[in-house]
This record gives sequence, structure tokens and C-alpha cells, in this order.
Amino acid sequence: MDLSKVPNDRKLYLCRTYFRIGFFLLPFVWLVNAVWFFNDAFRKPEFDEQKSMKKYVVCSAIGTSIWFVALLSWVITFQLNRSNWGEFADYISFIIPFGTP
Amino acid sequence: MNTIKQNILVFNILFLLQFPINSYGDRTKDKMYEEISSSNACFRRLNGTHQIGCSSKRGGSTGVIHFCETEKDLEDIIVQGTGYPYIPILPFKLFNHAALHLMIDSNKISGLILHTNNEPVDVIKNFTHENQCPNPYSSIDGTCKKESVWNPWGTGLLYFDIPFPIFYVERTEDVGLIRECFVKFNNYSYQEHADRSLCSLELNSFMYATTNSPTCIRRSSIVSNLNPQKFCDPLGDSNVWASLHPLAEGPKKNETKPIKDYKYIVIAARLDTTSLFEKTSGASSPITGIVTLLSLAKYLNDTVRLEDVKAGKKNVLFFLFNGETYDYIGSQRMLYDMLNGNFPIPNANDTDILPAIGPEDIDLFVEISQLGNINQKLYVHYLNDGKVVNNFVNKLTNTSSPVPFEAVPNSLPPASLHTFLKNSSSFPGLVISDHKTFYSNHFYNSVYDNSSNIHFKYYNLTTEEISVIPKDSIQYFIKNITEIIGRSIYQEITGHGYTGDSKVDLILVNELLYCYLEDPNCKVHQAVHKDLNLPKIPLALYVGVKGQEHNARILTSLTLGWFTGKTVGQGNINCTNKFRSYAFKYYNMSKSIYDLNVTMCYQVTMNATEAVSPAFSIKDYDWSSGQYSSWTESTWKELNVRLFLKPSANQGKMTMAIGCISMIFSFLLVYFIKSRSHILFVPPIPTDAPTDC
Repeated sequence: MDLSKVPNDRKLYLCRTYFRIGFFLLPFVWLVNAVWFFNDAFRKPEFDEQKSMKKYVVCSAIGTSIWFVALLSWVITFQLNRSNWGEFADYISFIIPFGTP
Repeated sequence: MNTIKQNILVFNILFLLQFPINSYGDRTKDKMYEEISSSNACFRRLNGTHQIGCSSKRGGSTGVIHFCETEKDLEDIIVQGTGYPYIPILPFKLFNHAALHLMIDSNKISGLILHTNNEPVDVIKNFTHENQCPNPYSSIDGTCKKESVWNPWGTGLLYFDIPFPIFYVERTEDVGLIRECFVKFNNYSYQEHADRSLCSLELNSFMYATTNSPTCIRRSSIVSNLNPQKFCDPLGDSNVWASLHPLAEGPKKNETKPIKDYKYIVIAARLDTTSLFEKTSGASSPITGIVTLLSLAKYLNDTVRLEDVKAGKKNVLFFLFNGETYDYIGSQRMLYDMLNGNFPIPNANDTDILPAIGPEDIDLFVEISQLGNINQKLYVHYLNDGKVVNNFVNKLTNTSSPVPFEAVPNSLPPASLHTFLKNSSSFPGLVISDHKTFYSNHFYNSVYDNSSNIHFKYYNLTTEEISVIPKDSIQYFIKNITEIIGRSIYQEITGHGYTGDSKVDLILVNELLYCYLEDPNCKVHQAVHKDLNLPKIPLALYVGVKGQEHNARILTSLTLGWFTGKTVGQGNINCTNKFRSYAFKYYNMSKSIYDLNVTMCYQVTMNATEAVSPAFSIKDYDWSSGQYSSWTESTWKELNVRLFLKPSANQGKMTMAIGCISMIFSFLLVYFIKSRSHILFVPPIPTDAPTDC
């Protein structure tokens, strides 16, 4: 979709919908939302819906970063402790690497 | 300009010519390698708490070849060499604890190749990587003391977790190939190794399992795993057993009736050995024991009649335990089955086919251990000196015979008997061996325990030429022992001495040894298994994992069946179609090794029971308890050794640099082309907009 051809009220509607969808454990939707509407929310000359759009973009970006930090710390914790956790780590793994403890 | 065009043409033609030729050949990336085919890998095994053995990196470990003739060569290359990591090529005699630690601690070694250097057994003197006290956790405490160990030359390296791959290259030609490459490229100015192309090896023996048995067993059975894969398999195969006379009466109308109130004399031996590598030998242990047990079966079949067994209410059972090297897998499982009423058949008490046999039904347990040392007398070891054991020991030691027996009370070398004595200290058992306080076999559980270790020489003879076999040969030795033990057992059953003139057939002993030590297509195996066509190399006697074909066990069980079976008419197609049960099986087998073409129908009592440790079938087994053997073998995808010429580090850096430069250059080029595209490319002429007329 070419965003430049979409009217502003439609943009706000899209931005809001993406923001809401993101609550269903879909951080990538928030990421897309934040990147996609960044220009419209911050760099375009002012328009009526811009204020609400800013709010959604900023919230999506915060949500994404919380997710990112949480995922990253989980991945680091898991990778560092996989062999120590033994049985538990094996049961929550989908792929167990060969030849590593 | 012309030459460039010509070059391009030649290149094109070459390319076109190459294409159809290469389509069936190796991939280009594999063409720089030379495969070393006669390599035997050291692989990884695991128990309840540890991992042992070797593994390469994923995709193979590579290193620069260095031939070492002396320990100094190895030290020198570790100190002086600049082209590390190295893969030293060591003769067997240099492989020991000190050398291994030197290599591991240096961090400059990525693998190891061992070869025999064509040195005979007498030069090596000793080579055994078994523990000084074999099976330390499953043997009875106090039977192997620190000041007097059973295997004093044992390095214990077999149970060491080695951080790099080790291969044993068997063929001299392959060692020669590696040496040739080494001399040409590597064997000068070691300090400059880093600056030039070097002959290298890639050792690939990447093992899937790590840590310990419970970990890899658990990982093999996780259902949520997206990539279900076996990480390890329990070690184990089958135990073989047979009874001298049937355990059941009949068959009448395909019905058999178990004979229930008999006592049993058990004659046992182990069936397996191991080594640091895939290849095993095992002449002294277990082949001398197996051959003695088999000829004893034949001898007792010739001497002890069915009436004797009926009168004495004592039958003889022959047990061949598999996996004894790895914490007595076979005997532990046999005892476990017995205690649960699952021997000789599952639910023996409920199924009226064969009598249930438990350890309390065993009157006497005679285990035949290593008998490879022909120069000495034999020793009878026992812990429990009950009446039966004492009587039997007296029978053995009193016989005036060519081989003197000596009683060694309160002593028990590693043997299956440990398992039964651990269950009940009053279990009547003894072990017959060629050693008193330590092994006379200097190559226990190694590839050097071969025919020359027991001084075996095969004689292809007929009965008339029997005198050719010298009196001090291993054949005579085993024949004599068999007769002594056989007569003692005869007396044990009948209550009186043997007066007949039956003798152990020396030629048969000679043939049996030949079967295990040199050619598995020997006469005995031909007699029991028609159309046998095996490669002329000794059969592997490693226990292996469940489900693998174990030729040595199959052929041994058929031989035991043949020796204890009785003929029920001429051999024909009806024979194998007779009604089979746990009690009886029917096979077409030759009449004797002298009449291979005369086939008879044999009724055989031989059978097999599973020899996989109970630890793998008990739910929630405590792996650290050490109660049962917990050995598993890691799985792997491939084991191979490849020779190749590794380019110098400078060449590598150069290639990398050229690659980087051309990449940066290409970015610049694309940028300039794009920025000047309006000059370089003619803009497309816009077509007229379609007009709606």
C-alpha cells in the first residue's frame, strides 16, 4: 500500500488497528507500525490526526523495545543455562543441538 | 586481444568437456581430499554419570600432520611448531598417559593418528587401556586391591574423556601415503610452518551424544523435538544359553512338559571384548574362554548320557554372557530375569514350556576366564568356599594331568560371577583362569590381543596328521583343560569318575580357534551355517548396540547348539519345518567337520535372551546409583579420515583480501553507474497515453 495516497483519517485508523493487534503477543506488528507511520507522525507537516497517531507510534515503539529486551534477556539466560537446567531445558527445546552438553 | 579470445574459447571447450565427465564424479570441493580408508575411529560412550572416548568437531577436526618416531619428536613439534593445530602420527608404543596429557595440555593438538608401525607383539610388551581394576563399580568391593591389581599395565585411557578425535590407521600403505605427503611438505624448518602450504588431515568423528546416558536417552525420546533423532543407544545384544540335555520332556504332539525339580551346573564364559577403536581382537579374552566352553559342551555331550542326568537330577547349562566388559551387562540382565521369573523364558512359571530357573537352582557355577597363557598352570578362584565349591576345587586340583590346577581361595578376578555373588554371597561359584594375582595377558581389551598373543598357529590337517600339532601349543592346552574340567563335571553329575575313552578332538579345537582368530568361513561355521560368505577378517567381538547384526554371537550360538544338540534323522526341508518352541529348535547342520556335505537334522536346546541392562527398562531408574550397567554408545553420521594440502596462512589472507576488495569495488561501481544512469542509459520513450475515442 502506498501510504502517500491514503487519506489521513484512514492512516490513523490503520495505525490504531496495528497498535491493537500488537497486544495479541505480536511485537513485530508493533515494530512495523512504529517504522511505517514514523514519517507521518513526526516528520510530516501537522494535520488533525497527527497527535493521536504520535501516541500510537510511540506506544508501539515502547512495546517493541520491551519485547526486544525481554526476548534478548531470555535468549541469553537460556543459552547460558541450557546445560545446567538439564531436563527442564530439554523439554522446552524444539531443537536440541548435536554434540553439545 | 586475440590471445584473450583464444583463452576464453579454450576455457569454454574445457568447461563443456568437463561437464559430462564430472556429473558422475566427486564434487569439486571433495577433489582436494585423499580418503584414508583403513581408519578405525575411537568413538564416544556414556554411562550414568560420565562421557568417555573421543569426538571431533562438527564437520571434522583438521590439523597439520607430524610423524613422531620418539617422544622427543612430539615434544619438539609442540614447542617449536608454528603451524598448529597439529595432528601427530604416533606408533602405538608411544601412546600413553604422559603423551596424551602433554598433547591435551599444549592446546596445539587437534587430533591423533595411531599406527602399529609393523611392530610385533613382543616389541610392544604391553598395551592395554582397560582399568587396572576392570569393572570397578560393578565388582565386589575388596576383590581388586590397590597393592595388587588385576591388570597392572592398564592405563585406563579407555575410560578417559579425550577432547580430540583419535583414529587407528590399520594398513601400512595408508600410513605410507601420509608419510610421503609429510616428508614432501612438512618435514623441514618447523619454525616456518606458519608461512607455507602443509600436508594436513581432516578427522571426522563427530559424536551426537554428550554428558551422560540419562541425558542422551532423554533427548532421544522427547516428543516435542522438531528434529527427532537418536542421540545414543544402550550397549547390549543377546546372551546365549543351551542345556546339555533338554529342560523339557517331549515333544509329544507338539507338547512339551518342563522338568521342574532339577539342579543345574552352569558353565559360563564371556562373549565380548572391547578396544579403544572400532576394531577389536580378543584372543586371550574372550576367545580362549569361548572355545573352551564350546569344546566342553561337545565333550560333555559325548560323555554324559541322558540317564546320568536323570539319575543325578542335575543338568548342565552353558551360558555365554555378552557385554561383560561394560559392567557385566549380560550377567546382570540374566540375574534380573531370573529373579523376576523371566528365565529361560518370559513368565516361566505361568507358561508350561520350560522350568523357571533361578539362582537358587544353580548348584555350581563354573566360569571360564582367560586361558591364553600356555606356560603356566591354571588357577581356580573362589570367594565362597561352601561344600560344593570345595569338592569341585578338590576334583580339579587332584587330577593328575598335564595341566596342574591351583586353588586360590578368597580371590575373584573380574568375572560374571561377581554379579551373582553380589545378589547372594553364598552363591556357589568359581572362576578358572590362567592368572593368580594379575593378568598374564598384557594386551587385555586391546587390538594387540590377537593370535600371536596366545601363540596360535593354524594347522590345516586331517585326523591322521594330528601329531603335527606340537604338545606345547594352545590347541593342546585347551584340549587338556577341557578334558580335566569335563571329567570333573562328569563326576559331579554321576558321582563317579569317568572311565570311558572319549577325548576332546584336537582338530576341532584347532578349527574353533581358527574360526575366531583368523577366518570366520572356517569348517565349523560352514557346518552350522550353510552358504556362509564373510570377509576373511576375524569377527568383531564388541558387544555393540541392540538391533545391530552380531555375527560372532549368531555363529557362536549355532555352534553351541550343534555341540549340545542331538540328531533326529537326515537333514532335509522337513527338519526346519518341524514344530518349534522355546524348548526345541531344529536346524540342518553337517554331521561333523569331516563330513561337511552330510547334513543331519539337529534338535537344539540353544536359545538367546536379551542382554541389555535392566537400567534401561526400569522406570525412574536412579542413574547415579550404579546398581546396573548404564553404558550407551553415541550415534554419529560419519567416521572418516581425509588427507589434503592446507594452503599457507598468507594465501588465505590474500584470498580474503582480494574478496573484500572486489566487493567494495563492486559497490562503488554500482553507485557510479546508478548516479550516472541518465547518461549511460537512454531513457525510455514514453508511449502515448491511450486515448478514449
